[in-house]
Amino acid sequence: MKKRNIKIICAIAAVVIMTLALVSCGGKKETFTVGFDSEFPPYGYIDENGEYTGFDIELAIEVAKRNDWEIKLKPIDWDTKDFQLSSGAIDCIWNGFTMNGREDSYTWSDAYVDNSQVVVVAASSGIKTLGDLAGKTVAVQTDSSAEAVLKNTDNEKMQALASSFAAIKDYGDYNTAFLALQSGAVDAVAMDIGVAKYQVSSRGNTYIILNEQLASEEYGIGFLLGNTALRDKVSKTVKEMMADGTFEKIADKYGLKDSIKLWK
Amino acid sequence: MSILTMWKLLLQGFEISVLIFVVTLVLSLPLGLGVALCRMSKNPVLRGITKVYISVMRGTPLMLQLLVVRFGPWFVFKMKLDDSYDIWAVLIAFVINYAAYFAEIYRSGIESVPKGQYEAAQILGFGRWRTFFAVIMPQVIKRVLPSVTNEIITLVKDTSLAYAIGLIEMFTRAKQIAAAETSMLPYLFAGILYYIFNYVVAFGMEKAEKAFGYYEIK
Amino acid sequence: MEILRIENLKKTFGEATVLSDISLSVNSGEVVSVIGSSGSGKSTLLRCATMLEKVSGGSILYAGDVMCREENGKEIYSDKKTLAKIRSRFGLVFQNFNLFPHMTVLQNVTEAPIKVMKRNRAEVEAEAMELLEKMGLEYKMSEYPCRLSGGQQQRVSIARALISKPDILFFDEPTSALDPELTAGVLKIIKELAADNMTMVVVTHEMNFARDISNRIIFLDNGKIEAQGTPDDLFSNTSNGRLREFLSSFYG
Repeated sequence: MKKRNIKIICAIAAVVIMTLALVSCGGKKETFTVGFDSEFPPYGYIDENGEYTGFDIELAIEVAKRNDWEIKLKPIDWDTKDFQLSSGAIDCIWNGFTMNGREDSYTWSDAYVDNSQVVVVAASSGIKTLGDLAGKTVAVQTDSSAEAVLKNTDNEKMQALASSFAAIKDYGDYNTAFLALQSGAVDAVAMDIGVAKYQVSSRGNTYIILNEQLASEEYGIGFLLGNTALRDKVSKTVKEMMADGTFEKIADKYGLKDSIKLWK
Repeated sequence: MSILTMWKLLLQGFEISVLIFVVTLVLSLPLGLGVALCRMSKNPVLRGITKVYISVMRGTPLMLQLLVVRFGPWFVFKMKLDDSYDIWAVLIAFVINYAAYFAEIYRSGIESVPKGQYEAAQILGFGRWRTFFAVIMPQVIKRVLPSVTNEIITLVKDTSLAYAIGLIEMFTRAKQIAAAETSMLPYLFAGILYYIFNYVVAFGMEKAEKAFGYYEIK
Repeated sequence: MEILRIENLKKTFGEATVLSDISLSVNSGEVVSVIGSSGSGKSTLLRCATMLEKVSGGSILYAGDVMCREENGKEIYSDKKTLAKIRSRFGLVFQNFNLFPHMTVLQNVTEAPIKVMKRNRAEVEAEAMELLEKMGLEYKMSEYPCRLSGGQQQRVSIARALISKPDILFFDEPTSALDPELTAGVLKIIKELAADNMTMVVVTHEMNFARDISNRIIFLDNGKIEAQGTPDDLFSNTSNGRLREFLSSFYG
């Protein structure tokens, strides 16, 4: 009788202690805040339920899950990404973030997407090559990689191409750029290949992607300069996800299987 | 995504827009009055400070003020604030910005009340506060209502600036849905909602102006 | 009984001296008119006496209560309580009426006694109606001032001044802002008040009116009392050159 009582008391005590431990652990759970452009499908965007989704978002959620971090998805205004990162409001920028040209501004993971800059035109426009763009108006997203490529003064080939255009017009987002294309305000839109594929397929193939590419570039995860500790932790987990096939599965879901770069 | 879902998602953003609108209005209208009184104070220090405050608030973009309120604490004091601070930053920035605009509207209204009104009140033995609230303010309100209406309608549209610090109000919601769906419909819907919002505001202000229309000021 | 006493009053605006060495007294039941050309300081005198302007020197007393006095070259006003008491003893009718545009005629008249003097509303309203009746305006009680003619507004403002039963009533050019055809009604009211032995100081440009109602007339010129006396003294028998000049500008 006595022994049984002690056992019960021990069991209750153990449950209480474990619950407390769990609760306190839960309270102390580290957060992992990912900053992203929520208007950038298929990498980061909003789903039917108003939840954020996309290739990068799913990767980030998986990384947080495996590290037992609490994920926080923070849509940001792209213009303020550096404020967000340096003030600690976000831990990293993970969102089709082009490394080229920004190599020294952030602490980067290895490249995980090989992304090229391409040109989208209306299928009926007759434009087939970059040369056909002479005298045409080309849209880019403000501050995008495509814009950077076309305005890169060190690249003679791009300089020559850009100066053959009638004009380069900046738009805040691709949706508006496509509206301009549709209405004839511009003749072509230059953008990332992943985005281009999403746009062209969701718009019913009235647009085509030119075979000739502007440039090739890579996406990485950007951390605050010097934050190698977090970068290493995240990279390690991403590598695991590549090894066990999770990474590829997610890429496939978003039609990016051809673009990803697996780490060895 | 169905049209219904689009509306549902937009309305989530709309709630944030309305929250910003209501809180800003409820706090900045009285705060603006206090600022206006300081601006007209006899104390030169108080007057100087409010003058600078108003001139900075009106002389710099609200977008910039939002960024300063949101990220300033980190750059100045190294205070790390997580995203639960976003809504507070938006409200603080909007309230202090709009208070400055309202203060100038009040000031012009107060200054346009003839001196004789103060003198009549003084002769009748009204104290300072009674003079201000029973004699001057009712006339000021009537005089400033049209300018306040303009400002309030601007406020409805300004709520979309909250996106600068990553707060998802209606316009940002519309952009997100538009991007995900490669469709312009969300913009149309957002436009309709903004219009209805402003229509209600304008209707309310018209009622208010009518309520003060029972007399004329020469 | 002496209601108002002013001694050696001086008023300067910066460098300019607007009033100097003004001494006068007004007894109960007296009607005193103040005349003089524009800029002679008539209105300033009234504004000093009613505390709308701070005086620069001299003293003002109401029935023995000191409003302000000069001590060692400095002007000292009495404490708030005394001033409030003094303020309740006089009324002022403005040139521009200064009615409150957002209040009805009745509210304009009753606001001060109800809200400041904390008197009973029904009682005050009954008195106000009586006064408005006297002004011939009881039927306008619920109108707003913008719906009244200038003459009617001025009569309301007289009622507003009278309801607190002042010992002395000041008028600052009460008909100057009115069209000529509207002045008669206002002047008639003031005459009736004079007949009721109301103590009054009237700043006016209406010479015939001043002559009619006044016990005494004060002629101000360049901020000084140039002449004073009964209407007959001033209008018929004056030897003062400045006064003659002034009067001739009225009567040609």
